[in-house]
Amino acid sequence: MASSSGPPSRPPPGYIPPSSTVRQPNPATLAGPMQNLQIGQPMAQPGPNPAPYGAFAGQGPISRFGPPGRPLGSPAIAPIGPIVGNGPSSSAIPGQRFPPPANSQYPAGRGPAPPFQSQVQPGRSFPGSPPLGASLSSQTLPPAQNSVPSQPIPRAVAASPPFAGPPSQYPPGVPPFQGYPGRPLQQPPPAIPPASYSATPQPAPQSFSGPPPPPSFTGLSRSQPFAAPGPSQMFSRPPISSSSYQVPPSMPGVMQAPPRMYGMAAHGQSTGFPTAVGQSPIAAAQGSSPSKIDPNQIPRPVPTLSETIFETRLGNQANLPPPASSEYVVRDNGNCSPRLMRCTVNQIPCTSDLISTSSMPLALLVQPLALPHPSEEPIQVVDFGESGPIRCSRCKGYINPFMKFIDQGKRFICNLCGFTDETPRDYFCNLGPDGRRRDADERPELCRGAVEFVATKEYMVRDPMPPVFFFLIDVSMNAIQTGATAAVCSAIGQAIADLPEGPRTMVGLATFDSTIHFYSLRRGSQQPLMLIVPDIQDVYTPLHSDIIVQLTECRQHLGQLLESIPSMFETNRISESAFGAATKAAFLALKPTGGKLLVFQSVLPSAGVGSLSAREAEGRANVSSSDKEAHKLLQPIDKSYKTMALEFAEQQVCVDAFITAQSYVDMASISVISATTGGQVYYYYPFSAVSDSAKLYNDLRWNVTRPQGFEAVMRVRCGQGLQVQDYHGHFCKRIPTDIDLPAIDCDKTIMVTFKHDDKFQEGTECAFQCALLYTTMYGERRIRVTTLSLPCTSMLSNLFRSADLDAQFTCMLKQAAMGVPINSLSQVRDQMTNFCINILHSYRKFCATVSSSGQLILPEALKLLPLYTLALTKSIGLRSDGRLDERSYWVNRVASLSVPLAAPLVYPRLFAVHSLGTKDDDESAIPPTLPLSSEHITDDGVYLLENGEDALIYVGNSVRNEMLEQIFGTPSVDGISSQFVLQQHDNELSKRLNDAINEIRRQRCSFLRLRLCRKSDPSGMLFFSYMVEDKSPSGLSYVEFLVHVHRQIQTKMA
Amino acid sequence: MAEMASAGEAEGIDGVRMTWNNWPRSKVEASKSVVPIAASISPIRSHPDLTVLPYPPLRCKLPCSAVLNPFCHVDFAAKIWICPFCHSRNHFPHHYAAVSETNVPGELYPQYTTIEYALPASHDPAAAAAAASPVFLFVLDTCLIEDELEFVKSALRRAIGLLPDNALVGLISFGTQVHVHELGFSDLSKIYVFRGSKELGRDQILDQLGLVPGQRAAAVVGGAAGYPKGMPSNPKSTSVTRFLLPASDCEYTLNALLDELERDQWPVEAGSRALRCTGVALSVAAGLLGACLPGTGARIIALVGGPCTVGPGLIVSKDLSEPVRSHKDLDKDAAPHFHKAVKFYDGIAKQLVSQGHVLDLFASALDQVGVAEMKVIVERTGGLVVLAESFGHPVFKDSFKRIFEDGENSLGLSFNGTLDINCSKDIKIQGIIGSCASLEKKGAASADTVVGQGNTTSWKLCGLDKSTCLTVFFDVAPSEKSSPPGMGNLQLFLQFLTTYQSPDGQIRLRVTTVTRKWVESASNTEELVAGFDQETAAVVMARYASLKMESEEEFDATRWLDRSLIRLCSRFGDYRKDDPASFTLNPSFSILPQFMFNLRRSQFFQVFNNSPDETAYFRILLNRENITNSVVMIQPSLISYSFNSPPVPSLLDVASIAADRILLLDAYFSVVVFHGMTIAQWRNMGYQNQPEHQAFAQLLQAPQEDAKIIIRERFPVPRLVVCDQHGSQARFLLAKLNPSATHNSANDVAPGSDVIFTDDVSLQVFFEHLQRLAVQS
Repeated sequence: MASSSGPPSRPPPGYIPPSSTVRQPNPATLAGPMQNLQIGQPMAQPGPNPAPYGAFAGQGPISRFGPPGRPLGSPAIAPIGPIVGNGPSSSAIPGQRFPPPANSQYPAGRGPAPPFQSQVQPGRSFPGSPPLGASLSSQTLPPAQNSVPSQPIPRAVAASPPFAGPPSQYPPGVPPFQGYPGRPLQQPPPAIPPASYSATPQPAPQSFSGPPPPPSFTGLSRSQPFAAPGPSQMFSRPPISSSSYQVPPSMPGVMQAPPRMYGMAAHGQSTGFPTAVGQSPIAAAQGSSPSKIDPNQIPRPVPTLSETIFETRLGNQANLPPPASSEYVVRDNGNCSPRLMRCTVNQIPCTSDLISTSSMPLALLVQPLALPHPSEEPIQVVDFGESGPIRCSRCKGYINPFMKFIDQGKRFICNLCGFTDETPRDYFCNLGPDGRRRDADERPELCRGAVEFVATKEYMVRDPMPPVFFFLIDVSMNAIQTGATAAVCSAIGQAIADLPEGPRTMVGLATFDSTIHFYSLRRGSQQPLMLIVPDIQDVYTPLHSDIIVQLTECRQHLGQLLESIPSMFETNRISESAFGAATKAAFLALKPTGGKLLVFQSVLPSAGVGSLSAREAEGRANVSSSDKEAHKLLQPIDKSYKTMALEFAEQQVCVDAFITAQSYVDMASISVISATTGGQVYYYYPFSAVSDSAKLYNDLRWNVTRPQGFEAVMRVRCGQGLQVQDYHGHFCKRIPTDIDLPAIDCDKTIMVTFKHDDKFQEGTECAFQCALLYTTMYGERRIRVTTLSLPCTSMLSNLFRSADLDAQFTCMLKQAAMGVPINSLSQVRDQMTNFCINILHSYRKFCATVSSSGQLILPEALKLLPLYTLALTKSIGLRSDGRLDERSYWVNRVASLSVPLAAPLVYPRLFAVHSLGTKDDDESAIPPTLPLSSEHITDDGVYLLENGEDALIYVGNSVRNEMLEQIFGTPSVDGISSQFVLQQHDNELSKRLNDAINEIRRQRCSFLRLRLCRKSDPSGMLFFSYMVEDKSPSGLSYVEFLVHVHRQIQTKMA
Repeated sequence: MAEMASAGEAEGIDGVRMTWNNWPRSKVEASKSVVPIAASISPIRSHPDLTVLPYPPLRCKLPCSAVLNPFCHVDFAAKIWICPFCHSRNHFPHHYAAVSETNVPGELYPQYTTIEYALPASHDPAAAAAAASPVFLFVLDTCLIEDELEFVKSALRRAIGLLPDNALVGLISFGTQVHVHELGFSDLSKIYVFRGSKELGRDQILDQLGLVPGQRAAAVVGGAAGYPKGMPSNPKSTSVTRFLLPASDCEYTLNALLDELERDQWPVEAGSRALRCTGVALSVAAGLLGACLPGTGARIIALVGGPCTVGPGLIVSKDLSEPVRSHKDLDKDAAPHFHKAVKFYDGIAKQLVSQGHVLDLFASALDQVGVAEMKVIVERTGGLVVLAESFGHPVFKDSFKRIFEDGENSLGLSFNGTLDINCSKDIKIQGIIGSCASLEKKGAASADTVVGQGNTTSWKLCGLDKSTCLTVFFDVAPSEKSSPPGMGNLQLFLQFLTTYQSPDGQIRLRVTTVTRKWVESASNTEELVAGFDQETAAVVMARYASLKMESEEEFDATRWLDRSLIRLCSRFGDYRKDDPASFTLNPSFSILPQFMFNLRRSQFFQVFNNSPDETAYFRILLNRENITNSVVMIQPSLISYSFNSPPVPSLLDVASIAADRILLLDAYFSVVVFHGMTIAQWRNMGYQNQPEHQAFAQLLQAPQEDAKIIIRERFPVPRLVVCDQHGSQARFLLAKLNPSATHNSANDVAPGSDVIFTDDVSLQVFFEHLQRLAVQS
């Protein structure tokens, strides 16, 4: 690994030098299933737990949930203030309750509380406006409109920024734009009195010219769920009451009775903070002239900073889950954690008409092995002995807290299919006065939404397989010369140290160019033996045994071999690469056991079975057809990889592909293998041995050490009235009801869509149960059963109120990814936009008052949907200017993407690096975020942008030299190598930047590919392509988009 | 004309023996002569009188291109020689200007009817170097039990030590799969693996090994050691020297490799044979050698311990419930794999012939390994074959050693031979039985009817050695317009031209020119009879019949042989019609019936006592050995040792057995020392160790010594059987003896003698019948 092309001599932060001793925990201590689950906790501290990146090794334990969770959460903030005094609310309750409609707490007069329409105020910039205020001020805004007082809720309203609608349509100055709770980025500390606003201590000049918010402000600030410490201003939040704003937001937990309540939806917001500021969601682009919309006032994601406790059920009602990206600790008291299963709506429509009217999807996002929060109670393992877990004899659903015991406990009714079963004698228990079994609280399966059953022989077709890892390395000329091979060998060599050390863990290794080279690792004291399989049209394994051997037996040999491979092939002049054949051959070696096949590929597979052609170039040459047929290039070229993959899946072989490419590799075809076998594709383009080695190693390490299971089968069952329509994600499906997962890990999410086949009764509950049968790393066969029981409703407003933005957007994202290879990009973009419009239209039509017709009204829960939709249409996957491989990779990645990572993928977080460390009192590692608009980017700033996958460090043209020196160790922008490796220098700023990045890595469970963007280079363009709120050749600006959406809705209404 | 003399001298310097030394002039006469006109030739037999001329020969003008020889008529004055074959007149070239009656070049000396020319090496230095370093590619079976593998490994180690330093060595091992060891790779042991179940074309093999056909890096010798790194386009990487290294360079590597070599690791299912892909291994070996420069002398030395059970060339399925095919199966066409396998091996044979490479087959197993199928390769390429029971058995061990031995004991293994035959007008060549392959060069002298490798006047002998012997079949076809019987045409001429690479890499051309007499008229049988060679005739009949048994379905060999013999006796015997008692035979024919009797009983005709593998093995050797040895195969020699007399040849008859005698039977494939009962008892009592019984010790020793001499000179090494009368091993002797006394005639048996439990007829009965039938009208 000393090779020059290997990893840099000095490891980048986050990179564990080989010598460091990050080890798996002693298996003995992990004997308990639970520990098992925690093992891979990415956020866990260094030390024995495998953190996703080595970065944390050796650092003191970082309490993940502590400071970072609440960067802004200065104690002064009232975490849950109801907003502006509206309503009586039980704002203090984190979870909302939905009392029956009759209970509505709102004064009748109010009717449904509309989300607020915030009024856009010309010329105003809000206190909260971000630093770019300068640009804002340049806008000409009609003065005066702001006056809040006219609003029913004066305080709230005050600051709403103008919304820029198309001039022709809206009378100027009409509806104010409402604020929303979800303030983008940083908000000022709530405690700050309004007065202080203008004086905010931010580094960035505050530009808002608007008058400080009225007194109401204080109230407002409280209502802010998140206090934004950031430099930026508090947002004008209370803007609310535009004239159109009718109802102050109700407090959380309040249920709106009348179906028509518009504003109510806001409450639905499940967020942990009740605060949902009264304002709801809506941005109203009123008839007012388009230019009036204040970009600072429109809805943006607001990071939740404080850690909350989330009870999955409250008062025997399902509780609305907090936003996926927020910090929360789940208390499972019947329903499973939303990390494991999240539904697009938290109340199930009684009829299919209802859901179709709403235009919302009905889907469940299942991440069965999702990492729990370290403070959460681990999932308990239940062993029923030889008889196995209690199951419904009709639908085979597993025992869960919602099965109802009757007849003094002698029988039980299945909550999934309604069938009544006899209670097995040795499971019998008397019922208490409350009708529950007396032992319900002692038995995890009767009180927890997530449990794990020990599987009996009945659930095994063979002995549980050992963990098997087979590494397959490209050593063709290109891979050698770019340093990929050396980087890979080094990464494997180090990652192996972290493999679970059990006696059963087995490894194998092969390399390939135009032939396949296996190595026999178990050979006395001799060197390894190299076995070449030259027939790449029809492959086979060269040995019966000794290709895959126990790790304990071959560590030394393997290490030596990995060291010598780069030099052994140093002069390799074979540029052909037999990826398909090599994969197949490795599969044959894995066939008897199954296992994970990790393939490292550098070039387009050009030889042997599964060889591919440079379709991209052909497509370009053939321009006439390329536009129409462009999406065809995103489909696999033929069935060969799919066929192979199905065969792999059958034998429980999962393929993870690490693509270290410099050019087109036909990702569309290659990725099929991973997608079908429950694997993952990693894409390093263009691969740089200098800057990507660390990520490669960390990706690999996380890949092999994260909590995962093998030879898994999953099925989702649901209550009578619904049926599973389809599964989406990375798996192999042979029969309609089950999916086969040769491997499943904590990062993989599967989307399950449902359709009605019957009606539900109002007041009943519909349950969803996911059962995952799998083998752990330690060779135990388990069934993880997660159950979620949600109330049924026949009211549209309830649907909107209980809508889950994160889940819905994830669903939308996955739908888009599915559409990309099938339809043209513009079609997909239109579909997504229409998807958004239809939902909003439905809300507007059925849940908002007629009088507000001129306003754009957004349901509180979904107020960010337009922004995300816009970002989605500008994302790599849907942009027209991207490379084919990038798009294919995106499609592949999205298919298994988890809910918390979905929104950031299209709407990344942007941080100002230059202002890091300027606030000494802020102990949070994660700085406040900025809106994704180039208005917020200054030339003398350094910015960090991350989307959970990549991180870009943007350096403006006129950054102070000292700052460059501090961050990069060089005083000039040009002096920074484009093959950039972030290093920690001895100064506060650098330290904080590194801390911030490490914290982000931990949150994302991903090492993030760090790239440098300079304003002057093409890399700067890359950075700006993430500024999704800007108007760009590929799409509208955020404001324009809102106007567009509004117009479409109006057209539909007409 | 080479008259019949004692057997040893019969061949003279020419090494040519013919069934008929005086040839019938007409086709009709020829067919009435019953025994075909054939010549057994030993193309490169060593002879003390052989002269080597250091210059190229003079050749007659095309298309004749016969070489100047002592039978040419030379006009010294005109400096012209007349070719005896085509009667063309050729001028001597300038450098022969000095030729005169008193100054004749060597090739015109009358005693040098056989002479050898040393040809200049090829102009291409690479080719010359290639030729100079023979290639030995070992193909080793690893589906063996541990003991056998150790035996074969130690044999290999010894062989590697014996190889000349410049010889190039390669190693392929096979079991379920084929492993081609890249000896030139220094970083670690590198092996190319081919699946055993898939047939691969030559190009595919080359491609998969990363080789370019017909190439060999210029620096052949010692080239692979410096495996240069970093050359932009590394010619070595495509060169076959990755796999073939000079013995001096790779001895250590090879030994280390052999130390680590394990039995085939693939599991063998219960009730199954181990999967052994001999077929693919051989085709890979052939493919690998295809990358050698043309003209390279190369041998594939296959060490096989069982039948091919997978892939092309399958001999028997892996299912143990299916036995390996027997003669009975072959007869009934119940051997499902046989023809397919033969076809496959025939393909390899063709490839090897085109490359000029040899396959040697060393089969050591208790069961059959498929020699019957693979025979075609060995025969076409002129390879060696040894069949033994075990790699630990002396038959294998000593034979294997022989092929690497140098000096006097050397087999004189040569490469890349070509045989051309010129013959007088009216003579056509039907073909050759023996280790050669037709080059399909059809000429005026090739006959329409084909025997063996025919349709040509030119044959390829990829591998040949001092003992290689071929049988050429001729046909007499006087053309209509050929001149009427006259003085000019009394003699016929044959010229055999053999070019080959000697073991030291030189290119040689051996020219043997012989002449024989035409027998003009049909009436003149005496002359015919006088020219008859019974030994050669017996051997030719055996070879011819063997060929027919293999190639013709429903061929009843015994019946054919009997009828031929009867016709021959009718034609050439003296008798009165229908009077058996009057029958006598000329001495030239006198022992032929006995040969025929023994031939009928031999392993060549009575195949059902043997496996097809054994039969194939016997036949290969029958075809490649000289007449003397072949006669021993047909009719073993028996020597009797006793106190009363010096060792004497005795009758091959059960009557030769006596209690106080030791018999030494040389049946070619086995040498049996048989102790009479009394001798055995004495020996068991240890008399030979007592000083007063030294004579006895000597008597015991004598046959052993003689057996050793026989064994030492013979390749393959025969099996030595030492047995006692009435012992179980005695069957090796009894099977060969004339059953003059059987259990049916037990009454008249002399004491101390023996009987044979058989229903076979005895020689006497055979003769009686023969006489009776021969005189029938």
